[in-house]
Amino acid sequence: MASTPRKAAVLAANRIPFARANGAYRRASNADMLGAALDGLVARTGLQGERLGEVAGGAVLKHARDFNLTREVVLGSKLAADTPAFDLQQACATGLEATVAIANKIALRQLDSGVAAGVDTVSDAPVALNDDLRRLLMDANAAGGPLEVAALLPRLRPHHLVPEIPKNAEPRTGLSMGEHAAITTREWEISRDQQDRLALASHQQLAAAYDRGFFDDLLTPYLGLQRDDNLRADTSLEKLSQLEPAFGTGEGATMTPGNSTPLTDGAPTVLLGSEEWGRAHGLAPLAFVVDAEIAAVDYVHGHEGLLMAPVYAVPRLLARRDLSLEDFDFYEFHEAFASTVLATLKAWEDPAYCKERLGLDGPLGTVDRTRLNVVGSSLATGHPFAATGARIVATAAKLLHEKGSGRALISICAAGGNGLVAILER
Amino acid sequence: MATTTLDETPGLPGLYAKAALSAVADALPGPLGRGGGDRADLPDRTVRQDGARLDRDRLAAYQRVCGFRVSDDVPATYLHVRCFPLSVELMTASDFPIPLVGLVHVANTMTVHRRVGSGEALDLEVGVADLRPHRRGRVFDITAEVRPADQLEPSWTSRSTYLARGRGEGDDDAPRLEGVPGPAEGRTATAQWRVPADTGRRYARVSGDVNPIHLHPLAARLFGFRRAIAHGMWTAARALATLDGRLPQAWRYDVEFAKPLLLPATVELVTERAGDGWRLAVRSSSGPEHLRGLLAEGERGGR
Repeated sequence: MASTPRKAAVLAANRIPFARANGAYRRASNADMLGAALDGLVARTGLQGERLGEVAGGAVLKHARDFNLTREVVLGSKLAADTPAFDLQQACATGLEATVAIANKIALRQLDSGVAAGVDTVSDAPVALNDDLRRLLMDANAAGGPLEVAALLPRLRPHHLVPEIPKNAEPRTGLSMGEHAAITTREWEISRDQQDRLALASHQQLAAAYDRGFFDDLLTPYLGLQRDDNLRADTSLEKLSQLEPAFGTGEGATMTPGNSTPLTDGAPTVLLGSEEWGRAHGLAPLAFVVDAEIAAVDYVHGHEGLLMAPVYAVPRLLARRDLSLEDFDFYEFHEAFASTVLATLKAWEDPAYCKERLGLDGPLGTVDRTRLNVVGSSLATGHPFAATGARIVATAAKLLHEKGSGRALISICAAGGNGLVAILER
Repeated sequence: MATTTLDETPGLPGLYAKAALSAVADALPGPLGRGGGDRADLPDRTVRQDGARLDRDRLAAYQRVCGFRVSDDVPATYLHVRCFPLSVELMTASDFPIPLVGLVHVANTMTVHRRVGSGEALDLEVGVADLRPHRRGRVFDITAEVRPADQLEPSWTSRSTYLARGRGEGDDDAPRLEGVPGPAEGRTATAQWRVPADTGRRYARVSGDVNPIHLHPLAARLFGFRRAIAHGMWTAARALATLDGRLPQAWRYDVEFAKPLLLPATVELVTERAGDGWRLAVRSSSGPEHLRGLLAEGERGGR
């Protein structure tokens, strides 16, 4: 039995540029965007008509009719129609969880190849029936006859006309992600200036990466966009410092639209495969998926920040791989908010926190800032929730490929207090 | 051959108004009227528009209504829509011998030599050819061609056959339309479409083809149809969209419109592999065919 695990390689990647909400992609659905990204990947890798092992993808803001989103996209794509697919969803970690799922199946020889993907649109978000009206209609559906239906009519209310719109709020706290992050920002005393500097670096480094052609083989233009349209190549510390705060109150209100990610539309894809499969298809590995760790925090009653789960996941992953925090050439940390990244770094340097919360003997360590998000991240690119994971995997793999060898640490915080981290190597 | 070059896309509402007025004039006797179908010569003239651009919002709306994915790949059938105002310009000009009102689109064949992207500047050219007798009147072809701006090799060519209903000028032995072979008789349907009553209005909005027979049952009744009928090119596009991702690089799509598709309707799509292409039919579950199509791999043109 061929049961020895093998290495799963990142062989190629493709995404469409990310677009700010209600802009360039306002006419596009999740299926349209994912289809465009997938067909771009197929065209670049010459996989037209090929049956791949499986495609995993998902979206956070999803219409009920899109329950089989990824499979439907595959059926309309240039891949063979008998390529299987499944949907998964883990908020902002969806794309990375899809990568881990496909990579694990490849490692276990259940698949030879696969695609990990994610997509999200806030411009074509599902707006549902008012929930009270929905319940009434379900009752009407269950009613025995016209008289029973008629008896339900007095329950109709004017407020039933108000639709249910997806909210960016945690169900158990009623706080938006930004409001949660504002609490963490205040607790860790992350200054406005530090946040603005991180945002500035994100924009400058993403712009430089575009200019040197880093994304040339990672991107297919879509609906007139050639680059992420949230990118502000000419922004400055001065411009960023003038923005009004968006989250938090009073003195502690340091989070602005400039150092928080904007609502964005977009879709990335990553092609994974065994080395043999890649060789047979003329595709050399960019990097290998080595390991991953998921963690969650009790942000409801546990006095921990909503977006702090990666802080817990990383030391567990490092311990399992017998690595230290300093053993990486690249750190690809999702910039949900500039302060999230900064609070994460600060937590790992704090002896008391590392001891009490993480159960370590001392500080986990220090991240070399010159290796952090070196070609920009979510603050500049934008952040279509489920899409970000696969975007970051592509970036980390390409960076390792450019360098020739090395190791990258990926970290993504997600709604619900989840956090997923992974290691790529070459 | 004369060529009329337009600076901008002609406005369809104005052209339709002109067509309606000339329909009234045709009905008048004597010197005021045009006297009906005495003239037989088609104008030896083409209408063209150079460097035309596609509007991404309109394209997306079209893609949505016809079941295509919203993408930068321009559906071949949309190029028909994009050239349509030019053909109406040609058919409503004073040198055109046949009234526009009442024309029936009976067939179309289009060839894709290479992909057309939504950002391309395009040269469009439309002509008319082959007025010939038909057992139910006369038919002629509107030819259309789309080239990347300033290039000679077309990306897309099309020939649409229109019937001017009237006294059959030939008997039953007169040339019929080229028969398009459909899928094998009795083949199980691939899909069922529920086609809503407003399909004609929705397609009219995205195509500009506001022929009243598609818009409302009452308007359709004036022209002898029991209910509003779907645009043939909507049915052709909707069928083509089901093959998204499965088309060869270059191909030809022949469609023949049989029985009108009265709205609303539930119809079946039947597909059958034919070499590297497909045979298609859209039929009602009770039997009659609305569309028959053949999609065949073609020569790849251009560079």
